[in-house]
Amino acid sequence: MIRFQRLRALILKETTQLVRDPRTLVLILSLPVILLFLFAYAVSLTVYHLPTALVDQSHDPESRKLVDAFHNSGYFDFVTAYDNELQIRNALDAGIVKAGLLIPPGIKDDVQRGKANILVLLDGSDSFSVQSGFNAASLITQKLGFDLVAEKITGPSKSLPLPIITNPRVLYNPDLNDLVFLVPGLVALLVQNIIVSHAAMAVVREREAGTMEQLLITPSRPVEILIAKLVPGSLLAIIEMVIILLLSTFWFKVPFQGSLPLFAALAVLFIISGMALGLLISTVSKTQRMAQQISVVMMVFGVLLTGFIFPRTSMPLWTQVIGNLIPLTYFVRIARGIITKGIGMEFMLPDTLSLVAFALVCLVLSSILFKRRLE
Amino acid sequence: MIQRILAITQKEFIQTWRERSTLVILLTLPLLQLILFGYAIHMNVQHIPTVIADQSLDYASRAYLNDMVNSGYFDQVGSVSGEDGVVQEINAGRANAGIIIPPNFSELVQRGDAEVAILVDGSELFTSLSAYNAASIIGQNHAVETIMEQAERAGQSSNPAIASPLTAHIQILYNPDFKDLWFIIPGIVAFLIQTQTIVLTATAVVRERERGTLEQLLVTPIRPMELMIGKIIPFIFIALFNLLTVLAIGVFWFGVPFQGNLWLFCSLAFLYVFSGLGLGLLLSTISQNQRQASQLVMFFSLLSLVLGGFIFPRYTMPPLIRLIGNIFPLTYFVPISRGIISKGIGINMLTGEVISLAAYILIIMVVAARSFRQRLD
Repeated sequence: MIRFQRLRALILKETTQLVRDPRTLVLILSLPVILLFLFAYAVSLTVYHLPTALVDQSHDPESRKLVDAFHNSGYFDFVTAYDNELQIRNALDAGIVKAGLLIPPGIKDDVQRGKANILVLLDGSDSFSVQSGFNAASLITQKLGFDLVAEKITGPSKSLPLPIITNPRVLYNPDLNDLVFLVPGLVALLVQNIIVSHAAMAVVREREAGTMEQLLITPSRPVEILIAKLVPGSLLAIIEMVIILLLSTFWFKVPFQGSLPLFAALAVLFIISGMALGLLISTVSKTQRMAQQISVVMMVFGVLLTGFIFPRTSMPLWTQVIGNLIPLTYFVRIARGIITKGIGMEFMLPDTLSLVAFALVCLVLSSILFKRRLE
Repeated sequence: MIQRILAITQKEFIQTWRERSTLVILLTLPLLQLILFGYAIHMNVQHIPTVIADQSLDYASRAYLNDMVNSGYFDQVGSVSGEDGVVQEINAGRANAGIIIPPNFSELVQRGDAEVAILVDGSELFTSLSAYNAASIIGQNHAVETIMEQAERAGQSSNPAIASPLTAHIQILYNPDFKDLWFIIPGIVAFLIQTQTIVLTATAVVRERERGTLEQLLVTPIRPMELMIGKIIPFIFIALFNLLTVLAIGVFWFGVPFQGNLWLFCSLAFLYVFSGLGLGLLLSTISQNQRQASQLVMFFSLLSLVLGGFIFPRYTMPPLIRLIGNIFPLTYFVPISRGIISKGIGINMLTGEVISLAAYILIIMVVAARSFRQRLD
């Protein structure tokens, strides 16, 4: 059914077309690398040094202790000092600061009487600032309050240890390194972008240029045409993946915990399923504009729905199902499993089978649609 | 001149209308994406699937676990015998966190040196952040409560100041209940409109060039600048339609309160639409074919998602990266959108952003027109 000779000729044609357009080739290969660098340096996930406004209406030893505790935590940088709450609110409105700390007058006496109350204001339009600021502020004041109680119970000389210590330990990434979170998913995302957008243009481009008819009057069969379109793009994606992995391991020093051959094998499977998705888009689209629109949507879905940034466990079921329509969802788990966790094949069987099924369904669907379009 | 622009506009309208299925996609896509993302995105993760290894099963361990589970952050999905079991479950992806309570917990608490280990899956960003923070706060809270109880039982309950003498009142402005949607909607409106406007114009010029119809247009008396303006006009309508529908869904469907002035928002959003269309036009003139344009669009929207301040705050980025962020219209509009929708502030606090946005549009249009003219020679 599939003749190797015809297939080779078609692959040769596709490769020639790709190489003849060197600017596109350079774009395809270099844009993901630029993205990797910018992402890696731009994204910091725990927010330290929130620009903070301070209103200290006490100016006594107790208030200084508070301000020091907030400052020393590393979460709050006091950039300005004001006289009252209204000024903090204005600064938050204007976006000059992201947080404010207000210490009311007579804090020392209030602490003695056991009813001191300070006010922390946070900019609620920025999620990261709120999360970091909220947690830091609660932990700091709780600790200070506890120390004050302990002082009362045991006297100022002795300190009282907490009876229970909770040790949160982050597996695979003990230092909460941003890059360890980011890079495995990013490798997968960048490669998917290339292959989907590349394959999405494949068929519709020939159709728009009118050359599809010419291809079809040759003895080549539709399946052969489709397969030939996959091959050069897949090679390109493999090269890209190697570049990105080398950079992340040796430049950004993200440790590669698992088995490299296993990763390579599953990466090829992922690339094939991404190509199959792209081909499906290409056969469905009437124009290149439509194909482009759909591939941009796939990219945005890839960032937001696949677990690359936002966790899938907290999504409702129906958005999880939609996420399952993108190969990246399976491969983000695989990439994190192998690169970050260092786990083996036995944990990844369901995702691997899903990728295989995904690729098969997409290929069969697109060749059916392709044939129907021809008639 | 107006007549010629109108002629081009008419041609574009007819072409867009003829491609009915593309038009339907253009009009509904941002809407569908907004609904999807509105439900899908959570930055503050609760109900983290958790396995518990309770090696004590006594009063103190139950009290501790109750506090953890009742917080809403940790949902028990299974029990295992020890740390190995926890690691196994997290490896397999069945749980994202595990709580390990050592044997003889009650005695250890009495002696004051109990230690609980909480393991968190470090391969998922928001989950590990939330779990880590929640575990620290709840754990510390529980410890303080325990010591208070111990003090009480030891007969010091006569001490009136046993409650914490210092409390912090933490107030989250603009979003008091810390709702995810209130963060996300203003940013995602800005992002979807930017993607849409760039995609709309990015194929405009390069498409005519690829088909050879650009030559035909150029032999007519139409000037390049008129051609570009004429091409943009139909897209303005599509983008405005998108903007209004997306905003309406955000406010009426998702119930995100619109604090500021609607007219101010609409007029600035109108300005914003031009910036995206201008950037798309520039990409279109520098691309040789639609495939290149497609790659560039992909690159720009992905980059703006990360550098534009929509998800990750810009003030934590190094200065050079922040500078690069300035090439995206999104960077200027996210503060405007959040300012008007969430904060309810007026134009007087947004002058800086508005001036930057206007300057951006001016520059991008001039650059696009110039590179278009160069391309013709």
